[in-house]
Amino acid sequence: MKNKKGIEMSFGWIFAIIAGAVLIFLAIYSASKLIDSSKTIQDSQLGKQLGTILSPMETGLESGKISKIALPGETELFNDCDKNSGTFGAQKISVSSKSGFKDTQSPGAQSTFHNKYLFSSDSVKGKNYLAFSKPLKMPFKIGDLIYLWSENDNFCFVNPPKEIEDEINNLKIESINVTSSKCSKGTNICFVTSGCDIDVILDSSGEIRGSLKRKYSQRVYFSNSALFYGAVFSSVDTYECHVKRLLKRASELSLIYRQESELLGSRGCVSSTLSISLEAYSQKAFLANSSQDLLSLNYLNEQLAEVNNDLLCKLF
Amino acid sequence: MIYCASFSNKAQMKIQQMVFVLVALVIFFALVFIFYIVISLGDIKKDGRTLRAEGAKELLRSIASTPEFIYSKEDCSGCVDKDKLFVLKSRKAYEGFWDLDFLKIETIYPPNENKECDSSNYPDCNSITLIEKEEFGSPEEVIVLLCYWNNEKGGYKKCEIGKIYASGKAIK
Repeated sequence: MKNKKGIEMSFGWIFAIIAGAVLIFLAIYSASKLIDSSKTIQDSQLGKQLGTILSPMETGLESGKISKIALPGETELFNDCDKNSGTFGAQKISVSSKSGFKDTQSPGAQSTFHNKYLFSSDSVKGKNYLAFSKPLKMPFKIGDLIYLWSENDNFCFVNPPKEIEDEINNLKIESINVTSSKCSKGTNICFVTSGCDIDVILDSSGEIRGSLKRKYSQRVYFSNSALFYGAVFSSVDTYECHVKRLLKRASELSLIYRQESELLGSRGCVSSTLSISLEAYSQKAFLANSSQDLLSLNYLNEQLAEVNNDLLCKLF
Repeated sequence: MIYCASFSNKAQMKIQQMVFVLVALVIFFALVFIFYIVISLGDIKKDGRTLRAEGAKELLRSIASTPEFIYSKEDCSGCVDKDKLFVLKSRKAYEGFWDLDFLKIETIYPPNENKECDSSNYPDCNSITLIEKEEFGSPEEVIVLLCYWNNEKGGYKKCEIGKIYASGKAIK
């Protein structure tokens, strides 16, 4: 006869096994959640620190010099631009550091900066990052633009104008080359030929002014070299968003200069022409919708610079 | 498996003991968890304050070269435009722009009576307060040249020695 007797187990054992399993599961679950949240905290702190690190680059002394940002490990930096936050929009930076076996991780909290303009791809991966900054003047200084890319990324400027060539050569960086023909690796930025990753068309003025088009993206416009680099190093959306933010700041700054001009007027240094031009510039900059409006603002820029240069007590 | 349904008083006692031990264990771990959360929350707040303070320090180093502060009428490194700052004081658009809790510019030389600048006394005043929240901790400071256009003697650039104070610590 078959023995139907199974394994004998007391109630105490069954209870201990079930309760033990539940406890162990809870312990593992809460431990993994704690690790996740501490990683999110670290990433959030890193994002804020990164913003702080970028501040010294904005001073005039560090302008046009390459800075290397070395992070403790492999990270992914997310560059987000919000044109509707506050009066001047916001630069949002978040970081996701690689840990364990997971390749993609959720980033830490976004750090918001209203006074920064970071031109980079929407997400940049790497351990070491390279960056440089340039002031934007239209015709007065509007802000310092920061360009950032990963050390693993390569850029190749094919037949650029002399001004760009000199600037890039002065940066003395291996990952950016100036050549007369397309490079085999990296992003090719072509000035004379077309069919590259980025095709640039400059206008006939001899200035760094014109438009560029990335493959499969819409055309963007620039009116000086600072904005040209911005268009090269960032995505179309980020570039358009920062241009909008910069023009809002330009609009507000021109109102400050207009009020300053009135203040100087009360001290015997009157310039009604400049005051009218500044008002017109402010309105035009405020209403600008896209980078295409930069070209029409250019005429007002030149007019403002001319009137200002003729003044005894210059405004800028 | 054989399971005996007849509970004796001894068995019931054992189950009760086990339940009590489990409840005690859960309460113990919950207390440890709460303790950990309180400690780590305190650390996060402290780190947040430190980061904001560091941000304020870095901003202070570069603030003299921002378009709103810079004396751009001629090449003058580290010079701040006093006229521009006085105008900036009345611009509401800049609320929250610098993420600071305190931002003040003060003339330290030539020494002057401590007077906040307003439309009735400008430029014969010695301080311009741009941001002043209720709680702002102890501010960091940097020395700058405060310059403005003076119409005396045919008009010239007049500069005074000043300090910019900034703080960003009010995380509660």
